[in-house]
Amino acid sequence: MDCAMDRDLLGAYVDGELLPGQAAEVAEHLTTCERCSAEADMMLKTVRRLREGLVRDRAPDVLRARIRAALHEERITDAPAPRRVTPFPWRAVAAGLLIAAASSVLTLVATRSGSTPAGNSTIADEVVASHIRSLMPGHLTDVESNDQHNVKPWFNGRLDFSPVVPRLDSLGFPLLGGRLDYIGTRPVAVVIYGRRKHVINVFSWPADSGGDMQPSAVGTRHGYNIIRWKRGGVESWTASDLNADELRQFVELLRAGTPPRRE
Amino acid sequence: MPESTLESFERTVVPLLDAAYTLARHLLRDEHDAQDVVQEAYLRAWRHYAHFRGGDVRPWLLTIVRNCCWSWRRSTRPARDVVEYDDEVHGDHSSDLPADGTALEDSDRAILRTALAQLPPEYREVIVLREIEGLSYKEIAAVTGAPLGTIMSRLARARTRLAQALDVRGREVS
Repeated sequence: MDCAMDRDLLGAYVDGELLPGQAAEVAEHLTTCERCSAEADMMLKTVRRLREGLVRDRAPDVLRARIRAALHEERITDAPAPRRVTPFPWRAVAAGLLIAAASSVLTLVATRSGSTPAGNSTIADEVVASHIRSLMPGHLTDVESNDQHNVKPWFNGRLDFSPVVPRLDSLGFPLLGGRLDYIGTRPVAVVIYGRRKHVINVFSWPADSGGDMQPSAVGTRHGYNIIRWKRGGVESWTASDLNADELRQFVELLRAGTPPRRE
Repeated sequence: MPESTLESFERTVVPLLDAAYTLARHLLRDEHDAQDVVQEAYLRAWRHYAHFRGGDVRPWLLTIVRNCCWSWRRSTRPARDVVEYDDEVHGDHSSDLPADGTALEDSDRAILRTALAQLPPEYREVIVLREIEGLSYKEIAAVTGAPLGTIMSRLARARTRLAQALDVRGREVS
């Protein structure tokens, strides 16, 4: 019954990972030792089951988009100050800058109807930058809760105004939490919702000038859709990799759940 | 026109996202953690890509992913492995489609996932690297930083435990 065979070698034998000499020794042993032979047989069957049953998972599209956006942001932010001592991807940086320049032009065109295109373009940049940053590990929420009664009061004392936080869970847009962020030098409230595996950031702050503004698409940046609107003295912007139609639908639901603010 | 570093990265490293995500998911047993860590690993890979000197890019990337997973586990979730309930295993998998689109019995696959998730992380990683990625022992040793002999015995033990869970039997010994 007993034999001196090292069990681990059987696995390596089955995997074809032994040197020819070693493999020959094991093969010979298996012809005489019934127990090892049965074990090698079991090992082989197990490996077959594992290879059939274990397959790669497909990475979610949102992860693909996040990585693409993060790579893009890396290139842009690294461009002016190359700190690398060793080979630096200059060509990639140049390409990144071209893309950045091209997308600013597009956004300028898209926001031409706005009152101050340059200002709005900057806001759009910062909204998207903040959205991308929020997707990095640990940056999404300062207060994580899907209860509006936790999220809304959290902003008290942190901001001089209180954002609206309707619950849209039943409509497929669960509340994920809230965060304090900055657009320009101004602290703004960010309320975060989800849609399947997409993240939607809603930025809001007291508007500089009066007059309501219907939701309008500010175009896309780095693949993110942006919509802005103004109501009741509050300016709101939202960014997400969610498709434009669903993002528009989300804004409608958000506004429907939001009574106009009375001064 | 010669290929830029980014073009080369996008051609060779980005298509390995499924492999990277799969390893992270088995190591962390949480799809959201896996996404965060893989994103971090990709940024790290991009920063080091200029130093990458040829060879097979897959073990190189998986080493980075694996190391990011272990530092994540050490720094943020020391208690995770103690928790028996695991939504990776028990949660809704309706949206999880295998990358190769094969249609093996769902139940068999679920049993296997559950059995694998119950093994220690050192065993999970060698199984993923060997049975899913098909890496050689030498490559697995390089990815995990463990000696060849250790890889050999971890694989053997992990397989024995999975065989028990799957009720695989060898020939009867008379």
